[in-house]
Amino acid sequence: MTPSPFSQVVTVARYEIRKYIRGRRLLGMVILVGLIVGLFVGLPPALGIKYASTPDAFVSTFATFSGLLVVLGGVLFASDALVSEHEKRTGYFLFPNPVRREILVLGKIAASVIVCAAVLSLYYGAAAIAALAVTHSLTWDVGLSYVYALAYMIAVVGIAYLISALLKSTVAAAVLTFFLFTLIFSIVGGILPLAKVEPWFIPTSASGIIANALGGPAIRGGPGGGDVGFVPDPVTSVLVFAAYAIAGGILSILLFRRRELSS
Amino acid sequence: MQAAIERPITTDVPVHLEGIGKEYGHFTALKSLELTVAEGTALGFLGPNGAGKSTTIKIMTNLIRPSRGRASLFGIDVRREPTRALARIGAVIETPEFYGYLSPFETLAYAGRLRGMSPKEIRNRSEVILKEVKLTEWADRRIQEFSKGMKQRLAIAQALLHEPDLLILDEPTSGLDPRGMAEVREVIKSLKGQGRTVFMSSHLLGEVQEVCDDVALLNHGELLVRGSVRELSRGADTSTIQATFLRPATPQDLEALAALPGVEEVKDSGDSTVDLRISGGEEGQARVLEAMITRGLRVTTYRPLGSSLEQLYLDRIQESDRL
Repeated sequence: MTPSPFSQVVTVARYEIRKYIRGRRLLGMVILVGLIVGLFVGLPPALGIKYASTPDAFVSTFATFSGLLVVLGGVLFASDALVSEHEKRTGYFLFPNPVRREILVLGKIAASVIVCAAVLSLYYGAAAIAALAVTHSLTWDVGLSYVYALAYMIAVVGIAYLISALLKSTVAAAVLTFFLFTLIFSIVGGILPLAKVEPWFIPTSASGIIANALGGPAIRGGPGGGDVGFVPDPVTSVLVFAAYAIAGGILSILLFRRRELSS
Repeated sequence: MQAAIERPITTDVPVHLEGIGKEYGHFTALKSLELTVAEGTALGFLGPNGAGKSTTIKIMTNLIRPSRGRASLFGIDVRREPTRALARIGAVIETPEFYGYLSPFETLAYAGRLRGMSPKEIRNRSEVILKEVKLTEWADRRIQEFSKGMKQRLAIAQALLHEPDLLILDEPTSGLDPRGMAEVREVIKSLKGQGRTVFMSSHLLGEVQEVCDDVALLNHGELLVRGSVRELSRGADTSTIQATFLRPATPQDLEALAALPGVEEVKDSGDSTVDLRISGGEEGQARVLEAMITRGLRVTTYRPLGSSLEQLYLDRIQESDRL
């Protein structure tokens, strides 16, 4: 007897997570997180610079780079999830099983969100521990920034899945996902205010709330960060993230259902 | 044109294709295929490359949508209820790729879990089936190290894991060495012996003749012939016979052979061997042999080149290509 849809979603998610762990992408991301944390903690004393004195200011340094980490997560753990079934022909094994395509997409999205959330949690966890060690205190704002980063991550995953369902090549999907968030959205979000249009609907602009929750970026944000000028209010930002996540998820399911395995 | 064998059509036959067709832009891959496969039948689905075999199989397994018509498995519409329709089938389509980070055991566990098998059931069946396809030694190795032949064995294993009532196989021996091909044929024959239904596309006519009860011949997306292997083999009108003589045939002998009724072509292959294309079925072949002996040609061997099914295949494909 075919199991329940929920049980199938769990099965797909489990095997997808196994893919990311065994494929060493997760290890790569953990090493990257270690490197970033190491630089933020180790570099100031090495250069004779004092640490920030408050936990919010200390963690905001980390928060400005969380956008890049989220985008990398989307590229590594989401952008190729659907397209690879066609390009690498693994769909010939998976699709003739009695499982609906939407179940496969939901299982894969769940895996991507779990893995990206794990990386982000590790990053914020390390930042919080470092802040506690340096400033001997923590605030709820650190948690709020973390929650916003998670919401941004879900939006990035949704869009990455849409790209994965649209394109025919894993490399193209990864490249487009990366440049969409590090370049295209940032450029559009930077130019729109010049035309007196507030870019509240641009996810990278909305991602500014991640650092703003801690009183604003301590240093200029890196690629994918939200330090591009205009930042919508937190409620609007979260709604924007939710809209991108839901639209991306639904469209990717519709496209994946329609897509034929004919190569 | 179509030598159809009448079979009663019930609503829950393993395979029932009702006028399925498929267009890719302006290219018609499949015209309007009507085909039914009764329970317990092993059907060989034959045709040259581009005939529409894989398209048919992909429609049956919900990998692509038909442009028209309906495919049902056990009476369940594949498009409307794919989960239910695919629950009782096992399929090998082209040479599938597997997730390189998994082992065969894990791959079978993945498929088994998606099908609702219990962990114990998966473990027991996996052991049996991996032994059957000779992958036991590799059961815990990552698939990324596997050759094409090993992946094909695994593809067959995953198709058999849940003991399906219908097995859909697209070129199942592709990529296998001769021993592997023979082993797969034995597996299919044993499934047939258990009363399971097999729908198998293949280029290898000998394989189809050995394994299947029925054949369906497809070309340019159209069904040319459908019938039992035995009847179609018997009914093949033209065959190529190779005759070897004790002494080389003279040009006069060859002319005389060519003039015999039913002999369509005579080709001197050297080494006292002549290939003759003879019409008139087995009767025609016997007449030509008698004529050779009457003429004083001392025949040492007289054997068909290829099977009569092969001849039927070639004749029908050639005929269809001419149209």
